Amino acid sequence: MSSTEQGTSSAAPAEPTTAPESAAAPEVPESFYYVHGKDKVVHKVSAGALQHSALIHGMISNLGYTEEQAKANPFPFENIDGDILQMVVDWCNQHKGKPTPPEDTNLPKQKEKLFDLVLAVNYLEIKELLTYCCKQVAMMVKGKSPEEIREIWMIPTDAEDEAAEKEAKKRAGKEAAGETAAAAGDAK
Amino acid sequence: MKLFKYPYLVQNEILNNTEFSDLLMFSFVSKRMKKLIESSSQMQRFGNVKTIRYDHRNGRTFVCIPFHHYHDHMLQIAELDDTQNDYFQLNVSEKMINFRIVYEDNKYCPVAYYQPNECESVLNSVHDYFHIFFGNSVEYYWFAHDYTKPIPQLQNLSACIDMPTEQWLDMQRFEHFISLCPILKFIDIDILNVTAHMSPDSKFFQAEHIKMLLFEPTLPANLLNFQGRQAFVDCMRCSSRELIEFVNKWKSGEAFDKLELMKIKSFRDLAQNEILEAIEAKYFDSAKEPPAHILPKVYRDIAFDEQPNTDPITSYTYVVRETDSRVASVLIHDKTFNFGVWDKTEDEFLRIME
Repeated sequence: MSSTEQGTSSAAPAEPTTAPESAAAPEVPESFYYVHGKDKVVHKVSAGALQHSALIHGMISNLGYTEEQAKANPFPFENIDGDILQMVVDWCNQHKGKPTPPEDTNLPKQKEKLFDLVLAVNYLEIKELLTYCCKQVAMMVKGKSPEEIREIWMIPTDAEDEAAEKEAKKRAGKEAAGETAAAAGDAK
Repeated sequence: MKLFKYPYLVQNEILNNTEFSDLLMFSFVSKRMKKLIESSSQMQRFGNVKTIRYDHRNGRTFVCIPFHHYHDHMLQIAELDDTQNDYFQLNVSEKMINFRIVYEDNKYCPVAYYQPNECESVLNSVHDYFHIFFGNSVEYYWFAHDYTKPIPQLQNLSACIDMPTEQWLDMQRFEHFISLCPILKFIDIDILNVTAHMSPDSKFFQAEHIKMLLFEPTLPANLLNFQGRQAFVDCMRCSSRELIEFVNKWKSGEAFDKLELMKIKSFRDLAQNEILEAIEAKYFDSAKEPPAHILPKVYRDIAFDEQPNTDPITSYTYVVRETDSRVASVLIHDKTFNFGVWDKTEDEFLRIME
């Protein structure tokens, strides 16, 4: 439902194409905003769909952009992969103005995609989608032994945690010693 | 997917979507994982855990947490099954225990296994682990649903029997089973026929709370041996002589010193006037409203019994114990004999109504 195109600059994105909207046309002309991720592909999304994201909704609610200004200033989310942002935009469009169902079966099944999606959704503050994603993450370890849970969620063993902690302490000690030496050098 | 790369709020949301059986397994993953559970809002969920039940039936022990209208199954404990080979070992309170995960009733559930000679030690370790995991304010109940395996003696554990209707109760085996149990907190049992009479010295009568359905005619008389606090009995017939003997024993202070409530429902009519006369019941002024006798139940399953108190006994008749002047309300109504002991002397009792 979203429109996308490869943009070269966030300041001057090319004209995005608009996908056909659902049959029931809104009475009041809907305003649109533009977002892009790491891949600079610009997505045109309605304000209604973006309401799912508390972060974006907060950003746009006081902007009062005209259509032209919105097009010229897409929101850049450089920390979100393009395909992940696409998923988020699709979800927001699909659930625009609708009550969210108790479950969502269209979430990615691959661990890494889901991991990135959770981070993106958390960043964009999309509460319902975050709940679905977290449920899915929890489902991944249903019926698993602690060892399998450790593998799926990549949880370090106690020994690994202890080693990492020692290493961190050592590094912090070295840094502190370096700073002291530098300060002493400066004093001379 | 690295769980610990997620922000705390996300980790917490993930844990919110797990069940107690999952959290139990998570706690064995690593110390850091255990810390995450302890520092998360899951501790609020833990705070809602008031009781933990061990239900023993068909050779297995099912550990569950009673919540509103359901029992959340968290763990099973069973004898090692040689036909299975997908065990994994976990260190539970310093003891290595074999586990498997089974899928039953649309739910995954971990099962802890024991060799025949190590049942007690496995139960001890699991029980100790629960004390650490859930804290010390939780009440623990063991429910035996048959009389095959003695109830273990575990720290802070209330022993209970909940046995369905059995055509013939093998009294010898049952008595032996009871003799090996700790003092019972609660018994809920239906007895149709017995192979022998129950011994008057049976530990059965020391249970704090008894709820019985009796078709066997000799057992109501045995209730004269009851030493607990609350008894609720439905029986085929109960003679006036037995009820009179019961009240007179209580009045003389000869027995029933811990008794709080006795309720006997007979399938036949009770001779109200004959009984009240024989026990020399006293009467209130009928112009006054008698006080209602209500007590907190000794035991209730918080999942399915929403009423924390016993049904009120509101009666114009009462008797007084000779030894300490304590009062008991007596109500014979609708084939039911109600006897509620007050924590008050006769003077104190009468003052309530002034």
